[in-house]
Amino acid sequence: MDLKTKALIKSLWVFHAATSPCNNCDIEVLDLLTPRHDVERFGIILVGSVRHADVLLVTGVPNYKTAERIKKLYEQAPKPCFVVAIGNCACGRIMFQDSYNSPCPVDEIIPVHLYVPGCPPKPEAMIAGVVKLLEKLSGK
Amino acid sequence: MEDVLGRIREKFYEQIIKYEEKSPRRVYIEFAPQNIPEAVKFLFRDLNLRFATATAIDTPLGIEILYHFSYDPKGQMVSLRTFITDKKHPQIESIAPIIKGAEWIEREMWEMLGINLIGHPNLKHLLLIDDWPEGKFPLRKEK
Amino acid sequence: MKLLFNYLIFPGFLFSACAGLLAGWVDRKVTARLQWRVGPPWYQNFADVVKLFAKETILPEGAKATFLMSPYLGLLSASLVAMILGLSLQSATGFGGDLIVVLYLLVVPAIALIVGAASSGNPLASVGASREMKLVLGYELPFILAIICIIIKSGGSIALSSILNAQHIAGSYIASWSGVLAFIACILCMQAKLCLVPFDMSEAEQEIMGGALIEYSGLPLAIFKLTKAVLLYTVPLFLVVLFLGKDTSPIFLILKYIGILVVIILIKNTNPRLRIDQALRFFWGPVTVLALIAVVLALLGL
Repeated sequence: MDLKTKALIKSLWVFHAATSPCNNCDIEVLDLLTPRHDVERFGIILVGSVRHADVLLVTGVPNYKTAERIKKLYEQAPKPCFVVAIGNCACGRIMFQDSYNSPCPVDEIIPVHLYVPGCPPKPEAMIAGVVKLLEKLSGK
Repeated sequence: MEDVLGRIREKFYEQIIKYEEKSPRRVYIEFAPQNIPEAVKFLFRDLNLRFATATAIDTPLGIEILYHFSYDPKGQMVSLRTFITDKKHPQIESIAPIIKGAEWIEREMWEMLGINLIGHPNLKHLLLIDDWPEGKFPLRKEK
Repeated sequence: MKLLFNYLIFPGFLFSACAGLLAGWVDRKVTARLQWRVGPPWYQNFADVVKLFAKETILPEGAKATFLMSPYLGLLSASLVAMILGLSLQSATGFGGDLIVVLYLLVVPAIALIVGAASSGNPLASVGASREMKLVLGYELPFILAIICIIIKSGGSIALSSILNAQHIAGSYIASWSGVLAFIACILCMQAKLCLVPFDMSEAEQEIMGGALIEYSGLPLAIFKLTKAVLLYTVPLFLVVLFLGKDTSPIFLILKYIGILVVIILIKNTNPRLRIDQALRFFWGPVTVLALIAVVLALLGL
């Protein structure tokens, strides 16, 4: 494991990209970033600009308007950038499969590296998912 | 603190089709579609009720539109109900010239249910994309 | 050759960058402890910088030529200040007027931020640049007034070595009425110079999505972070030289630096972020008055 991957594992900067969610998953993501769960000990900080981001936290079902925007957001993030789909809606649009306003699930627009199911997933589930992502990164 | 319900009943005595009081704080008053702008003017300008939102749904009796107004000092919610029976070409006069804040909810009512709002200043798509196919209204319950 | 070693390794770029990154870690750890959480490990800032080196650099379409050049401007001048201060503490080498050189070199990182943000081609970055410009206009005035107070107290000399010598003889400048007032004014101006809360409205903002640094990614962003680290080491050291310069053996130097760092962290954790007009009113109001009183008291000999 070279120095680049080691540094990337120890310092993941997170950007919150919501594609029309019901905001429950967003509240849980905000919960994750509060002092109670303390993700800063893993080096995870919330950044304001997508150009500083290493991880895109995608929530919600993409509709026609946000599908083009999430694609542009993904292209604006400097690679290597990982996409985490948080919540049932971002993983597979469970209830909203036949919706009139949703063209496709998130992983048909941008490549997704980690799925965290739940409605909404608990912050502990998100941390477990992040640990799995870091293990996958360090193992490869 | 005034008796808004009494004043509405007194002014629109002939025009109210049905007055339903689910609880002292939740009142539904039914009007015909052509009487709505006058009633809205009275509630908004003279009684100074706060316009909360408007909702619309496709029912077997016609397209039902509800305008919700709130009397904050007593915590009362007054809803004006109206049924548009012509489902082929539904239309109603827009209240956006009276209440500026109703512009966006009326745009949503038009794009989702196809209600033609007469006199609306800016009838464009709000939530759906701009090149949504014409004549396709997602929340209509057609078989 | 020795000068190159001094500039690049010790006490110039490498030493000050490492010291600054460690000081930044102390800040993050103490903040975490105050919020009843654990906080990052000691190598966190180093990992951040190495990770940024490995990311790709995206050049936005509307960016001008100075977009990639301005980060290096800030880093070069900050390390130059570190070298001058380190050498004058070590062996009293310096030249007449190096106080003025340090003063204007300390403005250059802010200018690099402004130039870089203005050449980003992003409207939010220009908001950040304008805020930073107004902030520099705000805090430079009381800062220079307080430095004038020090110059008066050391008999009109503008060389760092003679300021240090005067303090060796007469005692630290902070142990006098004018010194204390000038020190307080300098602490507040230093908080703004380091872009720390409550004066970080130009960048690192949830309000304008990263503000001045919004379009930077990869290597230029790493250079900006390194510049901030070098400044975090250099500016408190500058204050130690000016105000607390009686005992400059390494142990006391480190203790005094940690003391000023504690004051910075305290102010950072107990205050919300100010708006730019509130910050301007603050600097041109109470802080300038404080610095003026310090100058008057220094003229009277107190």
